[in-house]
Amino acid sequence: MATEDSERFDQVDWNDLSRSGRFDLSTNSIGMLLTTLPLALLGVYDWRFTGQRTPTFEFIGLERNLESLDFFFIFTLFLAFWYLVLPLYQNPRMTRYYWKEFKRNRPAVVSLGWLGIVFVGGLVGPLVMNAPQQDLFIAYQPPVFTSVVDTTPATCVGEVMNGRCYGTWQHPLGTTQGGKDVFTMIVYGMTISMQIAFITTTIVATIGISFGTLSAYAGGWVDEIMMRFVDIILSFPTFLMFLLILYIYGAGLGMFIVVFSLFAWGGTARYIRSKSLSISEEEFIKASRISGASTYQVIRGHVVPNAASSIITQLTLLIPGFLLAEAQLAFLGIGDSTVPSWGQLISAGRSDLSFAPWIVLAPGIVLFLTILAFNFLGDALLDALNPEAEAENE
Amino acid sequence: MTEPLLSVRDLKKHYPIRKGLFNRKVGAARAVDGISFDIEEGETLGLVGESGCGKSTAASSVIHLEEPTSGEVIFNGNGRGGATRDPDGTHPNDVTQFDDDEMMAFRRGAQMIFQDPSSSFDPRVSVGNAVGELLKVHGMSDRHRRRAIVEDLLERVGLSASDFDRYPHEFSGGQKQRIALARALVLNPDLIIADEPVSALDVSIQAEILSLINDLQDEFGLSLLFISHDMSVIRQICDRVAVMDLGEIVEIGPVEEIFTDPQHPYTEALLSSIPTPDPRASVGGIELKGTVPSPTNPPSGCRFHTRCHKVIQPDGVDVDQADWRGLLNFRDKVSAGEVDVEQVRENIAAGGSDLTDAEVQAEIRREFDIGETVDDPDLERTLSEALDLLIDGNDERAGEVLRNAITTPCAETEPERTVHTPDHESACLRHEGQAAAEPNPADD
Repeated sequence: MATEDSERFDQVDWNDLSRSGRFDLSTNSIGMLLTTLPLALLGVYDWRFTGQRTPTFEFIGLERNLESLDFFFIFTLFLAFWYLVLPLYQNPRMTRYYWKEFKRNRPAVVSLGWLGIVFVGGLVGPLVMNAPQQDLFIAYQPPVFTSVVDTTPATCVGEVMNGRCYGTWQHPLGTTQGGKDVFTMIVYGMTISMQIAFITTTIVATIGISFGTLSAYAGGWVDEIMMRFVDIILSFPTFLMFLLILYIYGAGLGMFIVVFSLFAWGGTARYIRSKSLSISEEEFIKASRISGASTYQVIRGHVVPNAASSIITQLTLLIPGFLLAEAQLAFLGIGDSTVPSWGQLISAGRSDLSFAPWIVLAPGIVLFLTILAFNFLGDALLDALNPEAEAENE
Repeated sequence: MTEPLLSVRDLKKHYPIRKGLFNRKVGAARAVDGISFDIEEGETLGLVGESGCGKSTAASSVIHLEEPTSGEVIFNGNGRGGATRDPDGTHPNDVTQFDDDEMMAFRRGAQMIFQDPSSSFDPRVSVGNAVGELLKVHGMSDRHRRRAIVEDLLERVGLSASDFDRYPHEFSGGQKQRIALARALVLNPDLIIADEPVSALDVSIQAEILSLINDLQDEFGLSLLFISHDMSVIRQICDRVAVMDLGEIVEIGPVEEIFTDPQHPYTEALLSSIPTPDPRASVGGIELKGTVPSPTNPPSGCRFHTRCHKVIQPDGVDVDQADWRGLLNFRDKVSAGEVDVEQVRENIAAGGSDLTDAEVQAEIRREFDIGETVDDPDLERTLSEALDLLIDGNDERAGEVLRNAITTPCAETEPERTVHTPDHESACLRHEGQAAAEPNPADD
């Protein structure tokens, strides 16, 4: 058709076009679908066809097993890549603008670097490093550059001088009472921390955003009921609930993540609701509505992106809470003892604090730095994504 | 007779006012209360009035951003022309009755430009995508084609194709308004509603945008509903003008006739507010006195009568017009209990000396622009009586005396539309008796 290729607005045959299908997926959605599909297939295969104890990748000869938590983690990574990283690449101007604003906050740039290390370490570490092995002969090795009394470790891996055992690069952060390498355990703990961070954020954001926008747009008594439900969620004693579940069913890391994030979205939903209400009064929403866009398109295209910039900050500040909660539970001895989290490591080392402090200190410092980094990052994101908020603060 | 592109018939938009535990409806703000007008193909109709008179509500009701309370909006664009009324009295082209598909088509036929260029673009969407969004919504899934069309259009409105990827905050107000124009144009509509498109801009930029609108209108044969409170802008761009006051159209006619021969006092007052470039010319504006009424409780009769400088005197009364206006204002203020004799006394006493009652009375007269004596002896007697009662502190009785003696037909009769020349109609009681406008059905 001759007009099909015309590139002037007044030569478009709309009657023809508007009858054609509306099935129109963005690159991001196509990518998301293409990557999630194999993951889902693998998940189904793992669930139905391999034995309880058989590693997922046995069919290609790999000794690697994926838990359901791992599947969910990979899924959230895909989400983050296709809907967070790729859009930043697709809109270079906006990215450059955000980066310019962001990098004015030096501590936040350092924090981002640290979190990058934790993220990469958590992803790659377990792939290249063997899981820490029990070896009682090398228990209580001191970290490199430090020394302990010769009698503390069973056998000293490094040099022994003047009755003191010196640490080596073989175990840069020393070993535990079971002879496990602390550095390796911290790297394995990074994976757990990243899983907690990504999965909780995804659950909280999904429920919070859907609930908040729905409530704002439904209005009336639906809005009223939904917001009272949020009040209930916010005042729910999550910790007691978790203890209850723990005593009845026993609780792993997965249960911890699900329970705590299912009761953490109340604030997000409330925030999104108020933000949506104020955004929906803007003229660009009217402009979008008279373009003929459906309510879903308006919310998806304009309300959520504008509200999201503010909740990214809020979500970033939620993560430290989860990490701390996990460590606290582990320290109290009611965490998931099967996962090598930082909290578990700290808890394992607490009885040896007097003569082998590195077992507690090393993961403790890493946890502290990570939480600090998330807090700095949250602050900087608030300033970078929401210039008005910064202006109000000044 | 050719068919107009858009004809609005008796359009009303009332906002309910709810109160109490059960959200009982206790009243309604009648933002738009029965307006009718036509827009021909390629024509620009100006809609003018002071802020709060319902212009913007009228616009959003016409474009169906808000559901009108009642009335018809008949849109004959999009090749829907030539339709006749259905037997049950509804019109097939009535926008208020459109189903979803027809509404989508209507969106392609009519678009809108908003007043505030800074808030009419999503700060997180590049302007190219903001304009292209309309193409996407209407089914153009080929992103390269969308980009080509938008880039071509950006150049037409005086920007460059490379602006496609830039964000709204990188543009000035005038540039944003050009982009808004591109967004309104991109679906190739027949009608554009422009809601105060230049009032947020500098005067020099206003002129550029107005001439751009003019050029585009000529090139693509657009019809325009141009809303403004600025009479000089209206004169520059419009073919016809409709003057709106408190939700009603009080006068409608060709722009030159309205400017040279205004028939409605409200139009006269609006026209006198245009600043003249001559520094020696007296400001000479007609100052509207009296209270601006609220749309929740509009005045009876002619809605302008509380402020009209030409308010009609009843039979048998013939006083100075300024005195008459003053008397009416005085009556309303006293009835509302808003004349505080003590306050007046204090105000003059600040000048020194003790005051006689006569001095206070004179001051009150001055305040309401009433002459020292009113020409009509009966009225003069009433006024003196009321003033005496006021000074004695008997406000209620004074109000009663005034209300009984001072009445105007304007408050009692609703004015009909009268025709001055074939195209020029107004609604004022002073023209009663001239040819009344024929009811103008839309299906002619």
